[in-house]
Amino acid sequence: MHPFLPNLPKKKEMLKYIGKDMNDLYDRVKEFIVDIDLPEPLSEMEVLRKLDGILEKNKELRLFCGGGVYKSYVPAVVDEIVSRSEFYTSYTPYQPEISQGLLQSLFEYQSMIAELLGMEVANSSMYDWGTSIAEAMLMASRVTRRRRVLLPENISPERRAVVETYISGKLKIDEYSYSRETGQANIEEISEKIGEDVAALYVENPTFLGPIEERVEEIGEIVHKAGALYVVGVDLLSLGLLRSPGDYGADIAVGEGQPLGNHMNFGGPLLGVFACRGDMKLIRNMPGRLIGMTESKSGVRGFVMTLQTREQHIRRERATSNICSNEALCALATAVYLSLIGPKGLKRIGERILSNSIYLRRKINRELGLDSPIFNSKHFRDFTVKYPVEVSKINELLLERGIQGGIDLEAIGLNRVSLLSVSETHNKEDLDFFLSSLREVLEAI
Amino acid sequence: MTYEVRDNLLYTKEHEWAEIIDGEAKIGITDYAQKSLGDITYLEISVEVGDEVERGQVLGVVESVKATSDIYAPLSGKVIEINQEVIDSPEIINEDPYGKGWILRLEIKDEEEKNKLLSPKEYSDIIKED
Amino acid sequence: MFRQARWQYDKEKIEPLIFELSEEGKIGHIIPEVEKEIKDEIGNPEDEIPPNLRRKDLPELPQVTEVEVVRHYTRLSQMNYGVDLGIYPLGSCTMKYNPKISEKISRDRRVQEVHPLQDERTVQGSLRIMYEFEEFLCKLTGMDAFTLQPSAGAHGEFTGLLIIRKYLKEERGESRKEVIIPDTAHGTNPASAAMAGYKVIVIPSDEEGCVDIEALKEVVSKETAALMLTNPNTLGVFEKNVREISEIVHEVGGLMYYDGANLNAIIGKARPGDMGFDVVHLNLHKTFSTPHGGGGPGSGPIGVKYFLEEYLPVPRIRYDEKEKRYFLDYSSKKTIGKVRTFYGNFSVILKAYVYVLLMGRYLKEVAELSVINSNYLMKKLLESGEYEVKFKSVMHEFVATPKNWRAMDVAKSLLDKGVHAPTVYFPLLVKEAMMVEPTETEPKYELDRFYDAMTSVEKDSPRNTSIDRLDEVKAARNPILSWRMYLEKSGTSG
Repeated sequence: MHPFLPNLPKKKEMLKYIGKDMNDLYDRVKEFIVDIDLPEPLSEMEVLRKLDGILEKNKELRLFCGGGVYKSYVPAVVDEIVSRSEFYTSYTPYQPEISQGLLQSLFEYQSMIAELLGMEVANSSMYDWGTSIAEAMLMASRVTRRRRVLLPENISPERRAVVETYISGKLKIDEYSYSRETGQANIEEISEKIGEDVAALYVENPTFLGPIEERVEEIGEIVHKAGALYVVGVDLLSLGLLRSPGDYGADIAVGEGQPLGNHMNFGGPLLGVFACRGDMKLIRNMPGRLIGMTESKSGVRGFVMTLQTREQHIRRERATSNICSNEALCALATAVYLSLIGPKGLKRIGERILSNSIYLRRKINRELGLDSPIFNSKHFRDFTVKYPVEVSKINELLLERGIQGGIDLEAIGLNRVSLLSVSETHNKEDLDFFLSSLREVLEAI
Repeated sequence: MTYEVRDNLLYTKEHEWAEIIDGEAKIGITDYAQKSLGDITYLEISVEVGDEVERGQVLGVVESVKATSDIYAPLSGKVIEINQEVIDSPEIINEDPYGKGWILRLEIKDEEEKNKLLSPKEYSDIIKED
Repeated sequence: MFRQARWQYDKEKIEPLIFELSEEGKIGHIIPEVEKEIKDEIGNPEDEIPPNLRRKDLPELPQVTEVEVVRHYTRLSQMNYGVDLGIYPLGSCTMKYNPKISEKISRDRRVQEVHPLQDERTVQGSLRIMYEFEEFLCKLTGMDAFTLQPSAGAHGEFTGLLIIRKYLKEERGESRKEVIIPDTAHGTNPASAAMAGYKVIVIPSDEEGCVDIEALKEVVSKETAALMLTNPNTLGVFEKNVREISEIVHEVGGLMYYDGANLNAIIGKARPGDMGFDVVHLNLHKTFSTPHGGGGPGSGPIGVKYFLEEYLPVPRIRYDEKEKRYFLDYSSKKTIGKVRTFYGNFSVILKAYVYVLLMGRYLKEVAELSVINSNYLMKKLLESGEYEVKFKSVMHEFVATPKNWRAMDVAKSLLDKGVHAPTVYFPLLVKEAMMVEPTETEPKYELDRFYDAMTSVEKDSPRNTSIDRLDEVKAARNPILSWRMYLEKSGTSG
């Protein structure tokens, strides 16, 4: 017997009613029936013990790395709400009358993301930031009927890899470089490379390497003059301090929603945030599910999935995307999170992140004598440090002290440069511990 | 289910109708088409006034909540007028598919192409089988 | 009589939008201020923001207290049906019970608080889970190598097709342009094929509801990159000619793709790898009981035969025998690259891993009972005289057509009885289709309850749900997709 198989004791009785035996039911499969050797089931107690032994080998470290995924504080309420099984054991709300809870929550998520990004419309989630950028490029191509896209040289390598995999069969990818002095986009090069065949230009603000792109508005103007779409990727938690992309001309805005109420979970599930301006031509070309407001027969306000004719279950090969299952529960977490922190909380989180970042990089610079950041620009959260030896060496020694150091940028040609990240969860003690550890490490080598 | 088929029109297998007068054709979708789609929510025309179109070319798409359907040109010609009213209020197509629900007008290129269209009886026979 | 919770706030709405509960000055969560010592050290942090990018106004997020947030979302949760409440027989979705111990383990700090870029030596637990799960999937499906990177079935389909495309290009210098898909296929199949740059060739089904072999022979050619097949298919029928189909496709140099959405019918008893498939995807949120989450997160692992292994996305999870540890291997020269950032939906994979431990050899019973439950329901419905089923040689799901009602009316009536409707109007092959998949975790009396609801259809439904029939036409004609749009359309300023 098994706790998840209520009809196991009734097999015979039900087969009798059906009028067949097991072999009859599997008759069409018979040439493929094999005996797969499977073990006895484990009890809950045994499973817990086994997993405990496995998970023991995971270590919680003091984190100073990022790359889009950040340790952020998840309020207790968020965990409570997404643990409600009415939410997590439901599925895509094809029958809206019985699924108003999820539909309204996702409408609220869409609304809050729209507010954050300064756009009119957000979808109810994509897989992650990387695929959101890729889908934005494909969307821009559909809307403009053009085939070339411009990506920044300093886009996160992880995200770039995803975009390439997704679109290199269909669109031409061109790059625009960044100033080695400021770390910001070379606008002159953008002006040269933009053209009437460009569907979209993508910029990250702040950039992957940390600098805030000060001339984002100017870049947008150049892009629009050529008739292309302006796609901006942001650090969502910077938006309590930095202007929203919708405010400086973005047509599509994307980002990573994980730090807004979702745990890191070793990199998944994540939350692809995707929003666009309220232009019907754009909206009709959006990928992903959209929840819309409507009325019931008796005049009560309600919510339904809408504009479904864009999607795969109706449009099939002409759909705006193949996406079906998305990251809905993570979107719910983000909706609850944003409801709790509100605009003032968002600002304060931004202040904490920014302050922690400034404190750490200034001290690394002044007290340890290292070039930090290496770019002459204003930064938000992430920043670069130039070490006197290989980053891997430093990180190895930091690891001995329970610290996960920053990303090694050797792979993108920045030797001995590490990309450090902070979050709002760090306090002075954490930052000072990093500093003293780094000092020890530098003295030891 | 009964579907209206008008005698003064010619039809296509893809459920478009054409009213031909003096070298010009008015085009729309049939009663069968609008009933199959259900409540029409959106109409998009992908050609512009002045464009030359070929018979069979996609002129646009009509959408309901759960379906989309391409609109094909029954004849070749030049687009001379697009009915903005149905673009603004696509439900007119449901209400009056052969009258107010007309979609666009063409200046016909080749009168002979008329012979490729279905007569009202031929079209009725096709939809009867469904 | 069933009544869903209805927190009818007023005549116009069942629950206010969180924005409507907002009032200036309320806070829902205390964020500590920047520490004084840090402030003293750095001065005003906002000086660090370029003046032209400083916000003038904060985003208009709602301002509500914690109490209100909790009440609001708790009430909303009560107005939502999930498989923890009753049967949810959506065809090809496999809405089975989600074990709670999987949920508990996924909330362990050692699962949640681990960063994907941590030194590999500090995440040996997570890597081991992924490695062992890949191995298990190979054994279960008869494939040679797996990746757990794709985040959903459709994502897996896209990944699999990219692998096929690259293989054909690199190994044979071929740029085949077509993918063959049966008319019963789930919409993601053609959508994924189109996304991967292929032209979709649809083939009809025969009187049994299976791939028409003669029609297949007519469309295969040197342009055929792949054929995508779900088995059993969306009619619930096992494609018994799958071996012949594989031979036809392989003979012209094409590859066979398995859509694993319906694996539940054969899990533990038969393996797609034995049927001639070169690439398979699985849906962990279906067959492997991870929660559907209201639409996600899911996970769509891809399994391949050995000759395609090098094309899998990077990184692969490997085990170093000498050092006795797991590591991430980015070395493949032929990889298609990455289909998402990092490694996959880890917490979903973990839940599937736990499920497999909890079921063990009972996975075979899962398959058998899914088939028994489905056939039991089908027979009962047929005997009632109220339904016809065109294709009766079914496994874990079947497609029924109501004789005296429209499928939509039956669906809405079911909601009034506290039963979630099956999938309606799919597959397109069957008129007024209702695709029913009860799954193996439904007790007999719940199947009977479903049967009762299916045979006592009432009009003017639903009325007992949180809200009555919603106007989907209005939503599409006049889209209001955010609070902002709502304010704009109702003529109020923010």
